[in-house]
Amino acid sequence: MPDIRILFVDDEPDIREVVDVSLCLDPEIKTRACASGADALVTAALWSPSLILLDIRMPLMDGLATLASLRENPRTSHIPVLFLTARMQSSEIEHYISLGAQGVLAKPFDPMTLAALVRSHLPGSAGRTF
Amino acid sequence: MIMKLINTVLLIEDNLGDARLFREMLGEQDSHNIELTHVQCMGEAEVYLSQRAVDMILLDLGLPDAQGLGAIRRAHAAAPSVPLVVLTGLDDESMAKQALQEGAQDYLIKGQIEARGLLRALRYSTERKRLERLKDEFVSTVSHELRTPLTSISGSLRLLTSDAAGNLPRPMARLLAIAHTNSQRLVRLVNDILDIEKMEAGRVVFNFRRADVRSVVRQAIDANQGFAEDYGVRVRLEDGCIAADVRADPDRLLQVVTNLLSNAIKFSPADGEVVVAIEKKTDVVRITVRDHGPGVPIDFKPLIFEKFAQADAGNDRKKGGTGLGLSIVKQIVDRLGGEVGFADARDGGTIFHVQLPCWDHVASLVIDRDAKPDAVRLLLCEDDLEAALTLREQLRRVGFATDFAYSEADAWTCAAATQYRAILVDIHLPDGDGISLIVRLRELPQYRDTTIIVVSADPSRGRDDARSSKLNVLDWLSKPVDFDCLMRLLTQPAAGAASKRPRILHVDEDDLIARALGEIADVVTVNSIEAARRALMASDFDLAVLDQALAKGASPGLLPELRDSNGNVIPVVVFGANGTNSADEAQKRAALTESLTSIESLVATVRERLASRQRAYPEKSYA
Repeated sequence: MPDIRILFVDDEPDIREVVDVSLCLDPEIKTRACASGADALVTAALWSPSLILLDIRMPLMDGLATLASLRENPRTSHIPVLFLTARMQSSEIEHYISLGAQGVLAKPFDPMTLAALVRSHLPGSAGRTF
Repeated sequence: MIMKLINTVLLIEDNLGDARLFREMLGEQDSHNIELTHVQCMGEAEVYLSQRAVDMILLDLGLPDAQGLGAIRRAHAAAPSVPLVVLTGLDDESMAKQALQEGAQDYLIKGQIEARGLLRALRYSTERKRLERLKDEFVSTVSHELRTPLTSISGSLRLLTSDAAGNLPRPMARLLAIAHTNSQRLVRLVNDILDIEKMEAGRVVFNFRRADVRSVVRQAIDANQGFAEDYGVRVRLEDGCIAADVRADPDRLLQVVTNLLSNAIKFSPADGEVVVAIEKKTDVVRITVRDHGPGVPIDFKPLIFEKFAQADAGNDRKKGGTGLGLSIVKQIVDRLGGEVGFADARDGGTIFHVQLPCWDHVASLVIDRDAKPDAVRLLLCEDDLEAALTLREQLRRVGFATDFAYSEADAWTCAAATQYRAILVDIHLPDGDGISLIVRLRELPQYRDTTIIVVSADPSRGRDDARSSKLNVLDWLSKPVDFDCLMRLLTQPAAGAASKRPRILHVDEDDLIARALGEIADVVTVNSIEAARRALMASDFDLAVLDQALAKGASPGLLPELRDSNGNVIPVVVFGANGTNSADEAQKRAALTESLTSIESLVATVRERLASRQRAYPEKSYA
């Protein structure tokens, strides 16, 4: 079975580290991290992750702008994106989904279940959870 | 500090004398150039506020259509960010106090107001409102900012305390567990603060629908299972609980039950039991949560639903509570139109209860049974029960009966069972956008021409829908409804009301004629006598145009039915390519009937017929 590649994007180094440890509890998951939307665009195009975990509030290029750019590039347009946000309001969630996000995860997240949550959003899995 | 200038004030006051007085007082202070708009009821104010921004609202608490706290809530809902000064009577200062708690910034006592005091109140409440807004924004921002470091802290601690980190020396594991538990508590606190802030700022939208209480309770029990295990407490649903449906927002109801459960768990002794029960009463469903804890101390009883209230601060802090859970419960239940309370259990412990309107009761209100037998029956598609009941009451006074549909599915069933004279549709229904309902209704012959009015908090959304132009919607009203405006629309001649143009029933199979007639009137084209009959039952026409061939076959049955709802004969024009010499029934109504062979002459004749009909029935004036 091929590895599951997860790219996560967050400007907070500490959160990147916690996400990394959390995801790597699942031995099939390989991870890469980016500190900005701009980096994420390059890494996504070169590394072809199975899914991108994207922080919404980042300086310069925020999660929404990053998503829009990912969708424009044919090499990244198909990659499912999950937002990770501290602002969790149902109206906003609907809005994010309408922009083409696969789902929205709330911060703080439970590190013990993060990998399973991410897996459930991969293409071909049963459904999405919020 | 820069004071925001007050330029526009909306005065909501039904007493004209008082209104004049305010105008004069503000006029005396004319150097400030305050523009005062005066409306006499809440309905009018709501419409005004939906269209214009004002800097200040002066609100009388005894309006014909809104009183007391209800008036404050409506004004606040119509313009949440506008400062509000209420006007009360001399004998009603307790009301003034409540008004401040409900969100008014200041109050004035009628009969004791003078110009400078009035201006001071206006300035003071503007500043107070500004500070409240700053506070709300601050709370919201801080709570969100706190979550970012909390994500790292609680995440790291959770990983450390899990097996993933391997075996830790005992004292260290214990300390990490303490740190983890408390970081979780901090997360809950931040979430609760945000919830409260959102609710108080009126930013929480409730989606009412039919909710299965038992399934919501089961979800809440499942969600609390881990928490209960931590405390060594068992949570169970009482045996034999029946399924019961209420009218509520299921997500919010889940939050209520979850909070009550976590509260009960926290106060249970180790190895204790928390039992949830569901009872169905006549109009309500009652959910009870029973614990075997120490009970609520008597001094604390009046404070239990207050924010940050904790029974024994020292004790509860140990329990990991935020002091906000029950306050959130109270706020949600109020918004759900229910009731929450608690009582001592006979053998120790506490029983909390929540009562919500039973779905069956809500459903029994669907048919307007109290209206007069001769009332004109309307269908109101609206999922907000309170709003629907208010409108029904208003409409009943002017001779209408109003049936309710809480969803598109309900509306569809009602419309099939009863022929309504008009349908009011909210375009935000739980199971659809209302527009699709209208599309489907318009496909039914009996509703093709019925008056349909859209009522919505945001009418522009539906109006801009590409499908809408074809729906023949009489008007798009914003919510809350301007009742006078609605009355004007409903009392227009029922037929043709949609466009105020004359209406022609065209019985033919020829498109060309329909198009030609369409230039001067609204044309309903049917291609059979059967269809013509159905169209006549559904609405009124000013003129009928019959194809000669069809007219011949139809004459004995159809022509006597060619009357409008007032019994007036509808003129008939017979059109045929083969000349007009057949001596059929239609021709015998010579005074009303003409036979023509060219489209130009047909249009000219129809024009003339319509004009003479308008002279005969001037109340049918066409725009």
